Amino acid sequence: MVNLLSMHNNINEPQTSHTSSSRSSESSNPLEAKKWASKILRDCAKAISGNDSSKINHLLWMLNELASPYGDCDQKLASHFLQALFCKAFESGNQCYKTLTSVVERSHSFESSRKVILKFQEVSPWTTFGHVASNGAILEALEGETKLHILDISNTFCTQWPTLLEALATKSDETPHLKLTVVVTLGMARSIMKEIGQRMEKFARLMGVPFEFHVVIGSLRLGELTREELGVQEDEAIAVNCVGALQRISVEERDEVVRMLHALKPKVVTVVEEEADFTSSRNDFVKCFEECLRFYTLYFEMLEECFVPTSNERLMLERECSRSIIRVLACEGGDGVGEESERRERGIQWCEKLKKSFTPVRYSDDVVDDVKALLKRYRAGWSLPPAQAEDTGLYLTWKEEPVVWASAWKP
Amino acid sequence: MKGEFEVVHGAFDFLQPQEQWDCNHIVFSSSAPNNVSVNALPRPMIDSQSNATEKFEVSEWMDHVARQFSETAATTNSFQTESAVSTAENFMLHTLGDCRPQKTARRHYGINGNGNVGEIQWNGQQTNSIYEGSRVMNRLDEHGLNLLTLLLECAVAISVENLSEAHRMVLELTQMASPYGPSCAERVVAYFSMAMSSRIMNSWLGICTPLINHKSVHGAFQFFNNISPFIKFAHFTSNQAILEAFHQRDRVHIIDLDIMQGLQWPALFHILATRIEGPPHVRMTGMGSSMELLVETGKQLSQFAKRLGLSFEFHPIAKKFGDNEVSNMVQIRRGETVAVHWLQHSLYDATGPDWKTMRLLQQLSPRVITLVEQDITPGGSFLDRFVGTLHYYSTIFDSLGASLSIDDPTRYRVEHGLLYREINNMLAIGGPTRSGEEKFNHWRSELARNCFVQVPMSSNSMAQAQLILNMFPPTHGYSLIQGDGTLKLGWKDTSLYTASSWTSHASV
Repeated sequence: MVNLLSMHNNINEPQTSHTSSSRSSESSNPLEAKKWASKILRDCAKAISGNDSSKINHLLWMLNELASPYGDCDQKLASHFLQALFCKAFESGNQCYKTLTSVVERSHSFESSRKVILKFQEVSPWTTFGHVASNGAILEALEGETKLHILDISNTFCTQWPTLLEALATKSDETPHLKLTVVVTLGMARSIMKEIGQRMEKFARLMGVPFEFHVVIGSLRLGELTREELGVQEDEAIAVNCVGALQRISVEERDEVVRMLHALKPKVVTVVEEEADFTSSRNDFVKCFEECLRFYTLYFEMLEECFVPTSNERLMLERECSRSIIRVLACEGGDGVGEESERRERGIQWCEKLKKSFTPVRYSDDVVDDVKALLKRYRAGWSLPPAQAEDTGLYLTWKEEPVVWASAWKP
Repeated sequence: MKGEFEVVHGAFDFLQPQEQWDCNHIVFSSSAPNNVSVNALPRPMIDSQSNATEKFEVSEWMDHVARQFSETAATTNSFQTESAVSTAENFMLHTLGDCRPQKTARRHYGINGNGNVGEIQWNGQQTNSIYEGSRVMNRLDEHGLNLLTLLLECAVAISVENLSEAHRMVLELTQMASPYGPSCAERVVAYFSMAMSSRIMNSWLGICTPLINHKSVHGAFQFFNNISPFIKFAHFTSNQAILEAFHQRDRVHIIDLDIMQGLQWPALFHILATRIEGPPHVRMTGMGSSMELLVETGKQLSQFAKRLGLSFEFHPIAKKFGDNEVSNMVQIRRGETVAVHWLQHSLYDATGPDWKTMRLLQQLSPRVITLVEQDITPGGSFLDRFVGTLHYYSTIFDSLGASLSIDDPTRYRVEHGLLYREINNMLAIGGPTRSGEEKFNHWRSELARNCFVQVPMSSNSMAQAQLILNMFPPTHGYSLIQGDGTLKLGWKDTSLYTASSWTSHASV
């Protein structure tokens, strides 16, 4: 308990003095003062894992007093992880998650969701990185084809496609026909997809691209989707675009889904995933917790730097994280077949699965240049490290940490 | 500015002991006793910038709710039904009923006026005040109104200890309300729901001791001082009363019960240093929670005093005024004039047990006690406190929203760093094992009852207050009222801070 008390004291006593003369007398452990949340959170996770109930209570109390979802990064992390730890300790994760998702489904609108996504894309390349890489790979793989069919398995509200449509429209040769089938894995309202479809059709008309739009809603059993259900036809050149999609497939089903994708006979499969591993440690609470904390600390810090402090869009993104954290750490079951998952895996791990049915495709120099040009449009901190020989795909890094992985595959 | 302190026996209005302030009448009513001069600032013509009056004022809506609630509570008690549950049920039905889908009217049975068991007849006012309130609110913010309604329902659930239902509602609220939005109602709900979430969690954990980051709180307090007139009002009216008490005294001692960064004192030092009869020797005892912070404050004040050529000593005491050892630690020297200053807040318990504080005050027999109270009561049931707190803070949020933009970073710092902390603390009081001490409802009443005599705030104090208000647009939103010897500053119809000053019999 001793270090907990000193932690308590660290928080209550000021770390720096007001006057200039004592600026040098910062707390001897400034890191501790600044990142107090991770220490208490880790200790709490261990206490829960070790079933030490008085320690659990004490630490949950501390977190409860210090946390705030509207404060600085430490306070936010404390707040969101506190919810998950509390649910874990009191076994209320499933109920809690259910309540949260039902509220979201009721209150989200096309406008509000769209605002969040667009604002995020404006201030951070977190999502646009994957879009640019994938579009580049798709265009190159489908070069010369006249009937294109893109299967979009993502929740990006089609924000990826306008630039692709533009590229198709400005090709020197005949503009191909594009069919876009969006496979929505979340409980997304029909009305939202309808709105999106109308906008896409309008945009395609403007671009002069012959266009068809379809939606496949609410199917979690991705592995069981057939060519017919997806509207795949013999004479089409298929591209499958999976952005943040594979993580949503329940762990048991992932191999099956890869096989299903292969059976569609696509010309290219583009995969974009966040670089975190919540899967291999899923039976080890503390290990999984540490990885969660590592990833979301990065993410929250990134959000704090990219958005203004009073941003509602950032708040929405943080709340989404909050739900994911509860899902991963505090929900029982949910890894079984048919359940929607949040269990991310790293690029290397996805590679292992994908290599069973596909071969990796290197991004051309043009595509890499496009990505680099994209990153230049954002604040400093983002970079694309040079691809190592053994690497598959590209890694987006923020402050030297890999955060998003993009890759392309062919059968 | 000559401050005249009339020390004439019986020459100032010797006020009767204050009647117990009705804690539910949070609205400062205009039906004041005769000897009160209602001196509100004249409201200027509505100009193009005053769209404050067009906005949904959460506090107006809360006026209706608070009034309805107090009537419901009063009627309930008079029939002696099971108090907590019934008050809650009735509150739900009569106050919130109109906002929810029509239900069949529930009948309440109990002991009616004739002493017989039968259906309770409620007095006339069946028309639902929320409905009335809603007409007022038609202009805007249905979303905010829905959130507030859900918030109140949640508070009722907590008050009847239905924690799991309350938790479910809180989860909903915390997903739907944003503290950064254009709607003051939504901001208020965002912070209140987090405070309730915190309280529910504490209830489940069975622990309730506060953990305060004092440095951060002091910083937020300073921001509040910058963007809102309430703190300056407290400072300057108190300084005026102290100045008057120090008239022609050359050795003075100020005891500040929670000095924080001592923002108040430089202005007083300035006046003392330049007063006609020459500067006094000033001793200051600053109390607070952290010795390190107190020492720092002392340093700053000493440096300032030195620059003014003011002879100054500072004594830090890192204790609560009501703690046992304090009476030994506070040293009063022979011949010095003592002023005790107390600017009350709801961030944390600054003074400890009230009866001990009172006892020490009596012991010290100061020449003047300057007291600034928030017009909010810590006592009563959870629901009492909740409705009162919601009314109080939604008024402050309204006042900030009227002059500051939606994404003003200072506004955010004040709302999150200060107001949210107060809300959190207020709602946690009475939670499991929170300091079990009895708190006085109104210090003014208690002082009057305990051998202290009120010294009416002078016209100079009033003038100070008016000057301060002029610094803060839109002045037509603030209401400054002089009455019962006190000065009250509020927003629209709601009084928020009351400044008063007192002297002990012994020193008169």
